[in-house]
Amino acid sequence: MRVLQEMPRLAARAAHHFWSRLREWCGDAAYERYLRSNATHSGMPRILNAQEFYVEQTNRRYSQPNRCC
Amino acid sequence: MKQALKFVAWVAVALAGASALGAIALHRGEPLNATWFVVAAVCCYLVAYRFYSAFLAAKVFALDDTRATPAERHEDGRDFVPTNKWVLFGHHFAAIAGPGPLIGPTLAAQFGYLPGTLWLIAGAALAGCVQDFVILFCSIRRDGKTLGGMAREEVSARGGLIAQLAVLAIMVILLAVVALVVVNALKSSPWGTFTLAMTIPIALVLGVYLRFIRPGRVFEASIAGVLLVLLAVVAGQWVAASPSWAEAFTFGGVSLAFIVIAYGFAAAVLPVWLLLAPRDYLSAFIKTGAILCLAGGILLVRPQVLMPPLTKFIDGSGPVFAGKIFPFCFITIACGAISGFHSLISSGTTPKMILREGQARLIGYGAMLLESFVGVMAMVAACAMSPGVYFAINSPAGIVGATPEAAAAKISSWGYALDAQTMTRLAHAVGEQTLLNRAGGAPSLAVGMAQIFSNTIGGERLLSIWYHFAIMFEALFILTVLDAGTRVGRFMIQELGGRIWKPLGRRSWLPGIIIASALIVGAWGYFLYQGVVDPLGGINSLWPLFGIANQLLAAVALVVATTILLKMKRLRWIWVTLVPMAMLIAVTMTASYQKIFDANPNLGFLSKANQLAAQIAAGQIPAEKIVETQRLIFNQRLDAAVTAVLAGMILLLLLEALMQWYSILRGQPEVALCETPYIASRWTEGFSPGIAHGDD
Repeated sequence: MRVLQEMPRLAARAAHHFWSRLREWCGDAAYERYLRSNATHSGMPRILNAQEFYVEQTNRRYSQPNRCC
Repeated sequence: MKQALKFVAWVAVALAGASALGAIALHRGEPLNATWFVVAAVCCYLVAYRFYSAFLAAKVFALDDTRATPAERHEDGRDFVPTNKWVLFGHHFAAIAGPGPLIGPTLAAQFGYLPGTLWLIAGAALAGCVQDFVILFCSIRRDGKTLGGMAREEVSARGGLIAQLAVLAIMVILLAVVALVVVNALKSSPWGTFTLAMTIPIALVLGVYLRFIRPGRVFEASIAGVLLVLLAVVAGQWVAASPSWAEAFTFGGVSLAFIVIAYGFAAAVLPVWLLLAPRDYLSAFIKTGAILCLAGGILLVRPQVLMPPLTKFIDGSGPVFAGKIFPFCFITIACGAISGFHSLISSGTTPKMILREGQARLIGYGAMLLESFVGVMAMVAACAMSPGVYFAINSPAGIVGATPEAAAAKISSWGYALDAQTMTRLAHAVGEQTLLNRAGGAPSLAVGMAQIFSNTIGGERLLSIWYHFAIMFEALFILTVLDAGTRVGRFMIQELGGRIWKPLGRRSWLPGIIIASALIVGAWGYFLYQGVVDPLGGINSLWPLFGIANQLLAAVALVVATTILLKMKRLRWIWVTLVPMAMLIAVTMTASYQKIFDANPNLGFLSKANQLAAQIAAGQIPAEKIVETQRLIFNQRLDAAVTAVLAGMILLLLLEALMQWYSILRGQPEVALCETPYIASRWTEGFSPGIAHGDD
């Protein structure tokens, strides 16, 4: 009975977990992660805005082998 | 009690795997069900992961979770990003899974299902996964250094330069061969060409959306993009049905080759956010979805494997490519069992994102097992069609003829029944004018996938939609490899060229960008053109060249890893990298020798060139074909020279490494291990960086 009562909460938690992992995998969470990173808290000259970060991130990612045969 | 249960469970898994492998290996006569392949592969992977990778992690590498990884030491939210292990597994798998594990096994099915399946499973467990795992481990211990960087530090400066040049040369061959696969798949196919062409404006719209409207919102943009691409697949049938539209999207091989070359140049020069990145997002979603669908389809449909375990072509006389099982089955399978290119990913972004050393086992070893499983599924899809149909699709016109009647007569004479109407009916059912002579593996894999998908959903009615979905899926992520590879090749040329002429090394200098892009596109474009005009279909010469190049890069990675293990004083366990390395060197050197010097003109580049030259000298070539034949002679000699250069580079690197090993074994003091010093992790006990940092 108690398990049944807990089910919606557990399902919501699992869905939230899955969604946050999916956002991390596809890159949606990259900017939030950047804002939380140590570097932005430890005296970076300027924090990039979302647009600048996106362009900088794609430039960096595609300047080294990141897709294989 | 718990231990005893565990023991019994693992014995059961091992026995199930051994029984399934036995069934695959010993079964003769009646068709075999694909379930055996799935059981054999999954059980072998489970045993390999549970025992062999654990042994590597504990005894050989001594992974240490108390040691801070580069992601912790240099966390910057950009390159060095601590990431949840399952998210990173997904990233790493999406990066390593390319067209290779799909195309290679499809081509290797020419030998029958047995040799390829055995090598896919054993090769991955004992070589491919070990390579990915060891390089990831070495790179983690060196602040995420690249393979070239590690070769320079641990082998020699010359070794580093050789590795860098080898990567560039391999990339040129890789890009040419994947472009050829796309060209052969889209030749005379207005439906396929339209669908793929539509992915470009879709990607451009996505690029603008992600740059200006909702920066970085990849998920929502990709889902919208995927829906638009699926709409384009459906709309393709109306294009193919309309005479004027069909004509506009119908191209021959040479025209398509030039279109792909122009596309590659544009992708290398245009801002990355505009075309390359959004295409890659689309490709990643569709690739993951299609692979999951294929796995689900095989499990639901459980198709019969109609290809025999061994075909008559194990003698080296195959129509898809020439050469015997040893070494050409290994060379052809390539990425599904071991891929040198993975070492670039394992020493690229992944080591900078890993949270703890212990997770390298799941990500390095585990992701490669999954890639091998993709290869097994491709083998099942290719072998589920009748052998006659398989050979009709994959054999060049120069061998089986260009009409259904000629192909049916020739293929039936080999002992694989085929009537001309079967090919005509099949082409009609998948919405194509013809399926004959589509060398390259993509169309036959698409037919196999479409048959599996249509047996799951839609039946015969949806066969054409599924076929073009499969073609779009293959072509889309092949083009993603092409544009991403061209861009990386451009940077490599700029970096190497910058040593000779400084301005070329500046990444933002426009003339430098254009020169370097033109050089890399010109290099792979030349090989692509050569493949398109080759009367034997191009795949016959280019895929083995690609396989040799790829496996040589794997040998480079294993040479570097062996050197590092020796320096770590793991002499007792050195066989874990030394044996696969020796195997790869034996395979690639034999294949290189045969491709250059074999007396059979279908196999040896030089004997083919000599045969053509003799035909010109004997007046057997019509006057109007002499220039074309002379070009073919030049191309054969060029292929021989490229193969020789690749083999030579690896032998040089091996020589450098042997001298280094000698010094290490003699205990010379100047041979030091270039590992980052130990720093204790803050994240091991009691500390959790939380969901934000991707911890569990």
